Amino acid sequence: MTLTIESPPVADPASAPDTPARTQRRRPRIGMWFGITWLGGLVFCIVFASVLPFIRLYDTKIRVGGKAGRYNLGPGWTAWLGTDSSSHDVFARCIYGARVTLTVGVLSTVIGLVVGGLLGIASGYFQGWTDRVGSIITDSLLALPPLLLALLLVYRMDDLKDVYSWLGWLDRQWEITLTLGILAIAPFARIARAQTIALRDREFVLAARSLGAKSGRVIAREILPNLIPAMLTVAVTGLGILVAAEGALAFLGLGVERPLTWGKMISDGQRDLARAWWATIFPCLFLFLTVISFNLIGDQLARRFDIREAAI
Amino acid sequence: MSNVSQAASRDITDPLLELTDVKTHFRTARGLVRAVDGVTFNLDRGKALGIVGESGSGKTILSRSIMGLLPPKGAVRSGSIKFEGREIGNLGRKQMRHIWGKEMAMIFQDPMTSLNPLMKIGQQIAEPLKIHLGMDKTSAMATAEKLLQDVRIPEAHRRLAQYPHELSGGMRQRVMIAIALACGPTALFADEPTTALDVTVQAQILDLLNEQRKDRNMSLILVTHDLGVVAGHTDDIAVMYGGQLVEMAPTRVLFANMKMPYTEALMQSIPKIEDPSHTRLTAIGGRPPDLVHPPKGCRFAPRCPYVREKCENEMPQLQQSDLPGHFFRCWYPVGSPEYFESKERNAAKAMASAAPTEVPVSIGEAR
Amino acid sequence: MAGTGTAHLRSASDALLRVENLVVEFPVGRTGLKVNAVSGISLDVLRGETLGLVGESGCGKSTTGRAIMQLPRPTSGSVMFEGKELTSMGGDTMREARTRMQMIFQDPISSLNPRRKVRDIVMEPLTIWGRGSKSQRNDQVDRVLDEVGIDPQRAAESQPHQFSGGQCQRISIARSLVLDPSMIICDEPVSALDVSVQAQVLNLLEDLKQRYGLTLVFIAHDLAVVKNISDRVAVMYLGKICEVAGSDELYRAPAHHYTNVLLSSIPVPDPSVAVKRHPIEGEPPSPVFPPSGCRFNTRCPAAQERCSAEEPLLREIGDGHFVACHYPVHGGDAPVTVRSSSN
Repeated sequence: MTLTIESPPVADPASAPDTPARTQRRRPRIGMWFGITWLGGLVFCIVFASVLPFIRLYDTKIRVGGKAGRYNLGPGWTAWLGTDSSSHDVFARCIYGARVTLTVGVLSTVIGLVVGGLLGIASGYFQGWTDRVGSIITDSLLALPPLLLALLLVYRMDDLKDVYSWLGWLDRQWEITLTLGILAIAPFARIARAQTIALRDREFVLAARSLGAKSGRVIAREILPNLIPAMLTVAVTGLGILVAAEGALAFLGLGVERPLTWGKMISDGQRDLARAWWATIFPCLFLFLTVISFNLIGDQLARRFDIREAAI
Repeated sequence: MSNVSQAASRDITDPLLELTDVKTHFRTARGLVRAVDGVTFNLDRGKALGIVGESGSGKTILSRSIMGLLPPKGAVRSGSIKFEGREIGNLGRKQMRHIWGKEMAMIFQDPMTSLNPLMKIGQQIAEPLKIHLGMDKTSAMATAEKLLQDVRIPEAHRRLAQYPHELSGGMRQRVMIAIALACGPTALFADEPTTALDVTVQAQILDLLNEQRKDRNMSLILVTHDLGVVAGHTDDIAVMYGGQLVEMAPTRVLFANMKMPYTEALMQSIPKIEDPSHTRLTAIGGRPPDLVHPPKGCRFAPRCPYVREKCENEMPQLQQSDLPGHFFRCWYPVGSPEYFESKERNAAKAMASAAPTEVPVSIGEAR
Repeated sequence: MAGTGTAHLRSASDALLRVENLVVEFPVGRTGLKVNAVSGISLDVLRGETLGLVGESGCGKSTTGRAIMQLPRPTSGSVMFEGKELTSMGGDTMREARTRMQMIFQDPISSLNPRRKVRDIVMEPLTIWGRGSKSQRNDQVDRVLDEVGIDPQRAAESQPHQFSGGQCQRISIARSLVLDPSMIICDEPVSALDVSVQAQVLNLLEDLKQRYGLTLVFIAHDLAVVKNISDRVAVMYLGKICEVAGSDELYRAPAHHYTNVLLSSIPVPDPSVAVKRHPIEGEPPSPVFPPSGCRFNTRCPAAQERCSAEEPLLREIGDGHFVACHYPVHGGDAPVTVRSSSN
C-alpha cells in the first residue's frame, strides 16, 4: 500500500457552515400546539362558563320576536352556532356538554389507568399464576365487542340500582364513567404488562433485587418511574377514544340527560339535519376536534418518549 | 498519491481506493461533530487493511463515508474518494446503488439484524445476482449454493430453503459473507464482523474472510476495535483517534516499531495472554476527545503520558518514518530522545507516589 | 456425570463460597423441553481469591453467577456462602444474605435506572437497609464515589445517560461497594467497554479488591482478561466445568481439548507471536439437547468412542489442576508459544 502525506489542513470544509443546527429537524409540532390550544380553550370555557359573558346559561332560551321556537336562529351574531330544537344556544350547550364529556373521559381514563396499570404490573412482574389470572381478565374483557359490553353494563347497573338502595349515588353519569373505565382496563393492563416484562429483565431491576429490595420497593422505585412516560402517552390517546365512546353511547340513548352531552345533542339533532344542520354539525365538530386534539398530543408524546407500543 | 487520474488509463498496479483529505462532519444540536477529519490513504488491489480505533474514533463513519452509507441528514462531506480512478465521494445513493454489491460490499456486526427474517437464505443470496448480474432464477440459485459451499456452510443445498432464525450466529455471518461475495466485489468492508461471535467462531470467520480475499483478489477493509483481530489478518493497519489517522504501517512494522504514543498505550492496555496473571495494566487515563471542540494541538495530547507544550498547541501532521509505508502523527514519537526523557520523568514520578503502597486509582474521566 | 465431580473442591472450612452440584434448568415455552443451562457444577472460592469463570456464550457462566445470588433460585444443588446454605433460606433471611454479596453486570447503562439521579442510585442500598444516619449515609456514598473516581457533586445532579460507559460501570461498582460486601460477582464487567477504559476498570477492581479484602467471581468470555485478574480459572462448556486450575498453570498447560481450542482461537495482538492453531469446526450444540457422555465430544479433535458413552469426572492431574477429560492433552502442547525472532 502506498500512503501520501496528508495535505495541510484546510480551514474548514467550504460546504460546512459552522453554525450549530439540529441533526434531525424536529417534526413540525403544529398538531400538538393546535391540540393544546383547543383543549385549553375548552377547559377554560368550561370552568368559567357561568361568569364568561359570551356563554349563555344552560337554560337560557333565545327568543326571536318575543317567542321561542324550534331552530329559530341559524348561526350568526346573536347565537354563534345557532339554536336547537328548544331554542337554546348551541354554543352554550356544547360547552356545558363538554363539561360532562370531559369529566367522564378523564375519570374513566383514571379508572382504567389505575386498575389496568396495577393489574398489568402485577402480571408482568410476578408472572406465574398472577399473570394467568390477569391474562384471563384482560382477554375476556377484550373478547366482547366493546359497545355490546358497554350496553350490557349500563343496563345491568340500572337493574342493580333498583335492587340495592345503597347504590343511590349511581346516577347515569357515574354508570357511564364506570362502564368506560372497565372497558379501558384491558388495553392499559396489556401495555403495562408488556412494559413491565421488558423492564423486569433489565439489569438495574436485578441489581435492586440483589441489594435486598422487596418487590414493592422494586416496583415503586425501579419499574413505575420507567412506566410513566408510556402510560401517560397511552392515557392521552385513550382519553380521545373514551370521549368518542361516550359520544357513541349517548347517541344510542345511553347519554347523560342533563346537561346534554355532545353525543345526545347529535342524536337529537340528526332527525332535523336537513332543516337545521347547525344543531348536529357543531356538536360533531366539537367532538371531532377534541378527539383529534388528544390524538395529536398523544402522538407527539409518543415521539418524544420514543414509544412504539402505543397502539391500543 | 497516484499520478493517474483518468479512469481510462488505469492498470492493475494502480491503487483501488484513493482517499484524499476525506472529512465527514455532522451538524448536531451541540455543534459540528468532526467525526472524520481529514483522512488520506491509498489501498491497493487484493490487500487487507485493518482500521483500528476505539468507539468514537471515526472508524465506522470513515468506512461508511467510503461506501456512501451515511445518514442523509446533517452529514457534511468533503475531500475526494476515488474508487478505480473514479470519484465516488460526491455520488448520491441512487448512483452508489450501481457500485454496492457489484464493486463494494459490506458485512456488519450483527448478522441477525442484517438478514431479512422473512426471506429464505437462498432468495437473499440470489437477489443481488438477479439484479446486478441479470441471472435467471435457476442459475442464481445454483450460484447461491456454490457460494454457500465457498463460505463452508455444510449441506449447502438444504440451507437454501431455510430462514435466518434456523441458523446459528456463526452460520448467519457466513451467509452474510456469501451475500457480500455474490457479485464478485473488488472491495469488501467488514465492520466489526466478529464482535458478536464467540471466540472459536471468530477465528473461523476471520480465516474465511482472508481465504476468500486471496481467492478472489479482493481488497478487504476490516474495521475493528480489537488489535488482536487485525494483527493476524491484515497486510496494513491504520490506527484512528479522534477522527484522524494517527499511525499507519504494514502490520509487522506497526507492531514491532510503533511510533505513535496512542498506539503504544492501546497495546499496553490490552491484557496479554502470555503475561502472568495480575500483571498491572497500563490504562490510558481520561477519555477520547470531544469532536465538537477537539483539542487545538495533537488530539491525543490530553491523555498522552509524554505530552509537551508543543503537543498542546500545534497539531502534528502525518509524517513518514524511516521505514517504507510507515506514517505517524506525533511530534515526539516513541523512540525519540524526548520520548525517553519523558518516560524517565514519569517513572521517577511513579516511584515517588507509589511509596505509600497506595496505587492511584486511574484518573477520573471528566466530562 | 461428565464435567461433574467435586474432586477440585478444597476443604469446606476455608471456602467463602462453595457450590455443589448446581443445576439450573429453564422450561422451553410449554413444550415440556428444558434448557440445561447449568448441569451439576461444583466450585469453591477462598476468601480473598478471584475465581474466573470462562466460556463461550450459552455455556452457563452467567446463569451460574445469578444462581449463586439465588436470582432466580437454582433447580437443585447447594450454595454455601459464609457458612450458610442459601438455597434453603427464606425470603427475608435471603434478602439479608444478599447484601454480603453483590453483582456487577455487563451493560453499564442498563444496570442503572435511567430515571434516577446517580447519587440516589448509589445511596439506594443504604436506604433499603436503613443503615446509619442521613449524614453517615452521605459520607459513605461520597467516599465510595470518590474511590471509584466519580465526582460526588456531579453524581448528585446527573442521571446515568450523562456519563460514559466506563463511568457508568464505575457507578455500578460504587453501588455494589456501599454495603461492604465480602464477595462481588462480576458478570462480563468489561466486555462492553473500549480497551483503554477496560484497563481502567480492571485496575480499579484489583485495587478495590486489595483495599476492601474482597473475593471476586469474575465471569467473562475473554480469556486474556480472565487470566489477568484471576487466581484460579474454571473453564465451562455447555453447562459443565471442563477444567479448573490456577490461572498461570491453566494457560501454560491446558489439559482439556476445549481449553486448548479456546486458547488457540484468541487473536493475539502481535503478529510475531506464533500461535499453534487447533481449529475446530462448527459451533456448540443446543443446551436443549446436550450430547451424551462428554459434552464436548461432538467437536473434540481427540474424541473416541468412550467419550460419547461415558461422562468424564473432574480429576486431579497436577497440583491444583483438575480436568474432566478421558484423554487429556499431553503436556507441552500449549497453543500460545514463544515469540518468533523473525520479523
